[in-house]
Amino acid sequence: MRLIFQKLLNGIAIGSVYALFALGYTIVFSILRVINFAHGAVFTVGTYLTYALTGAAFGRNGQLRNASLPLELNFWLALTLGALGAGVLGVIVERLAFRPLRRRGSDPLLTLVSSLGVAIAIVNILQYLFGAENYSFGETLGSMRASVTLAGGELPVVIRTKQIVIFVVSMVMVVALTLLVNRTRTGKGLRAVAEDLTTARLLGIDTDRLIRLSFFISGVLGGIAGALIGLAGSFNYQFGVAIGLKGLAVIVLGGLGDIPGAVVGGLVIGVAEAFVPAEYNAYKDAVPFVVLLVVLLVRPQGILGRAQVQKV
Amino acid sequence: MRLHPVLALVCALSVGGCAVSSSRAQGGQEAKSSGQPAANTGAGQQVSGDAVLLGIAVAETSNVALLGQEEVIGARIAERLLNADGGVNGRPVKLLFQDTGGDEIGAINAFQALINAGVLGIVGPTLSQQAFAADTRAEAAGVPVLGPSNTAKGIPQIGEFIGRVSAGVDVVAPLAVEQALKLNPAVKRVAVAYAQNDAFSASETKIFQATVQKKGLDLALVQRFQTSDTDFTSQVTNIVGSRPQLVIVSGLAADGGNLVRQLRELGYKGLIIGGNGLNTTNVLPVCGRFCDGLLIAQAYSPAVDNPINKRFVEAYNQQTGNQPPQFTAQTFTGVQVFVDALRRLDKTQRLETMDLKTLRSELNSAVLTGTYETPLGQIGFDPEGEIKQQKFYVAQIKMDKGGKGGRFVLTN
Amino acid sequence: MLDFLNSQGTIYVSMALGGVLGLSLYLPLLAGQLSLASPGFYALGGFVAAVMSTKTFEVEGAYPVHLVLIEFVVAAALCGVLAFVVGLAALRLTGIYLALATIAFVEVLRVFMLNLELTGGAVGIFAIPQPFGTQLSYLWLAGPLLIAAALFTWRLEKVRVGRAFAAVRADELAAASMGVDTTRAKITAFVLGGVLAGLAGVIAAHQINTWSHRQASFDASIAYLAFVLIGGSRTFLGPVAGGLFLTYLPEWLREQAKHEFLPTWAAEFLRTGRFIIYGVLLAASCVFFPRGLITPELLGRIKRIGRGGGPPRGQDLPQPEPEAVA
Repeated sequence: MRLIFQKLLNGIAIGSVYALFALGYTIVFSILRVINFAHGAVFTVGTYLTYALTGAAFGRNGQLRNASLPLELNFWLALTLGALGAGVLGVIVERLAFRPLRRRGSDPLLTLVSSLGVAIAIVNILQYLFGAENYSFGETLGSMRASVTLAGGELPVVIRTKQIVIFVVSMVMVVALTLLVNRTRTGKGLRAVAEDLTTARLLGIDTDRLIRLSFFISGVLGGIAGALIGLAGSFNYQFGVAIGLKGLAVIVLGGLGDIPGAVVGGLVIGVAEAFVPAEYNAYKDAVPFVVLLVVLLVRPQGILGRAQVQKV
Repeated sequence: MRLHPVLALVCALSVGGCAVSSSRAQGGQEAKSSGQPAANTGAGQQVSGDAVLLGIAVAETSNVALLGQEEVIGARIAERLLNADGGVNGRPVKLLFQDTGGDEIGAINAFQALINAGVLGIVGPTLSQQAFAADTRAEAAGVPVLGPSNTAKGIPQIGEFIGRVSAGVDVVAPLAVEQALKLNPAVKRVAVAYAQNDAFSASETKIFQATVQKKGLDLALVQRFQTSDTDFTSQVTNIVGSRPQLVIVSGLAADGGNLVRQLRELGYKGLIIGGNGLNTTNVLPVCGRFCDGLLIAQAYSPAVDNPINKRFVEAYNQQTGNQPPQFTAQTFTGVQVFVDALRRLDKTQRLETMDLKTLRSELNSAVLTGTYETPLGQIGFDPEGEIKQQKFYVAQIKMDKGGKGGRFVLTN
Repeated sequence: MLDFLNSQGTIYVSMALGGVLGLSLYLPLLAGQLSLASPGFYALGGFVAAVMSTKTFEVEGAYPVHLVLIEFVVAAALCGVLAFVVGLAALRLTGIYLALATIAFVEVLRVFMLNLELTGGAVGIFAIPQPFGTQLSYLWLAGPLLIAAALFTWRLEKVRVGRAFAAVRADELAAASMGVDTTRAKITAFVLGGVLAGLAGVIAAHQINTWSHRQASFDASIAYLAFVLIGGSRTFLGPVAGGLFLTYLPEWLREQAKHEFLPTWAAEFLRTGRFIIYGVLLAASCVFFPRGLITPELLGRIKRIGRGGGPPRGQDLPQPEPEAVA
């Protein structure tokens, strides 16, 4: 019983990591119906920015050897600024890879590939500049305990403090986003654009600005996610890509474009992974993809999505 | 409108292609030491004039780049120190670098480019998988190869030109287990975790598990993870649940470091052994103060007391402020072995008198028959090219107060 | 001269295989399906060759070529069956969903390959016997495969099966209502692509001498996608040219890094920054050349130049097409 509870906790912890990452994908997809593969790259850049803003030095490899900024900000402040920087990068990506294609009415698949190209370029520029090393954030939680024990006894049920932080942040982000989309005027604009771009424009809504905003938000979310995930473990120039693929499974499961869906999808996949029995641990990595395949074949709109009606 | 850019591109490519093939036919601008066009078997080509060429083919890009970049540093330090000692009896040593990337084809291409450029020997590649592919090319071309980090079984056996300075997996691991038992004789149950998608870790863990069983201990649990994982909560939960007194981790710096940290964060208090992949200061920033007490099996220790190692450690320290990691030392050793063998060879027969093909073959024989004092200690090679190394080490990590810096302290 | 060609042998063979792999992605694309599953079949074909040549056939000395041909047959059969199953399962999916499903399929396949004893686990299988002494000789296998695949694809577009593909690509619903068996078309295209990728894998496994689960990677999918999208997604010459060119490009960049006049950071960039160039090229081609470099219009113009100028005739006229991948 205790073991089940522990595994459930583990699953929710991992799941909120996936959810946090997937939220960025979801925003862009809900507005533009395209998958922004560059999200993983923006996520990584945000993390590197946060790292640099804490004043830490980069490693021995790469063109910018041992470089460090003359600042030394508190982690949370660095995180905020880093995330904002990631948001700006998100907007730049939109300008480069998405807008020209949107103007011409291109197929979403073409946009997907274009964003993929940008992602590869960005990630490798990071490697060129900063080397392939792994970085960590050190003891930023300071005096906080490393883990919290939820139930005592010989085999206590423990959870790491950082995982609690990630979970709380994802929930806060979801609530904030949902409020933004459903309760504000801007949110109404976003929903209008999501429904029909042309009509929205005809109605006088500044669609370009709203699209830029959604990319900005997506980038900020990515930056926050990256820094937190980097905090919980370590990070390098490639860690966005690995999570990126799993993130795809998450959003499809939850329903492409559905914000609470991203969270539900993330939690479900996280719990599924956590409950893989120890002997089959080797196959753990296949779980998100098997889930993805099953969902696509059985219920492509995901758990919370609406069925797509094909118009003739 | 669309025609012009395409035509321009096609023209550029043809011009580029011609330039490339003509530069290849001339042997490239690099081979300063040869006056004539280079043929690729090297028959009939003189090695005259100045620099002696050696090739370094390691992974400078891709996710293996972390290891490869350490190796590049080792090679560069070797070039500097050995040239400061007069190079090869007066002739400077010049290292040519080619990036193998992370896959086998990249390694083959890198090796081929170096062979074409007329190098006398190659230190590389980074991964055992790449070695299986690229070493066969070098063997066919008669170019000696010393692997700086290939530890899987069967590599020196690829051919008579193939050797390695990285000791095989079976030698280093058992020492760490013995040391752990010395520290805590009450160890009964052991849990093992390894990175299953890394060829080296997958081999190393078999040795560890065999050692555990030979010592009569109870192998309570085996967990697997991927080198790309950052979250090990489920593995840690399972491990802690099996209540071991010793945990053995075979992986690389990032994943291994994270696993160690999460083990400690989630309350595991017993001994931890890190395999050879964790033998690098790259692990320190990952597990921070939780690295303290980690036992590491090493094929190289910065504390080895011989002149060349002292110079090497000092040079590395000046450049980076840290102690040199194992792969850096092994690459340094690879270059040093080639240069030492060349010096010896030059004394018996001047290098300029031999053509490239003969020179490579003679170098190969010279490498295999010599003994060398290197940062790894005193080493030699068996006839198949496998390294004969006397000492291996077990170190324990001691972290500084702040949890930022730490050192590897020798225990044996 | 032969020495020079021999030393470049690896690259030429890789280029030829690149062309084949580009075609393996182009074939499903003809029927409107963007399938990123080629690396999975490529890895599978390679494993067939690896397992058969190291475990099934115990051969001393040089590996006879006719055994490689047997491996071709087995790999084709295995890949064909698997592609059939996958194609069947993915029938209902289109566009992004299909692409995602194929990505997931490759990942799952890779994890299985990583874990099975048969495929050697993390290490993979090494010391795969070589049927040829020199790298260049592999062109005896890779060259004909490429030419055969290219010719096959070219003829395919003109035959009824190929026109069915084109109809499905243009508008599946309309094609179905016109009586085209869309199911058969889509599955056939999928199977053809999978088989081709498997055959390329057989050759590659022997050429590289070692094979592991890492051959089935997402990065490889991106590479093949680049072959088609940059090379040209509307004519069979596109993926071939894309495969040849883009396989050669990193090597060419590596060569350029040798020039003396380049500052260190620039040389470093050319040697190790080729993925940056790859990514930029991929994005740029989507934005500026969405149908790739080699398009039917370009071919039409070249034909006209060959004819000595003159106005475009019937078949040369550019067809108005939606700007799409599939």
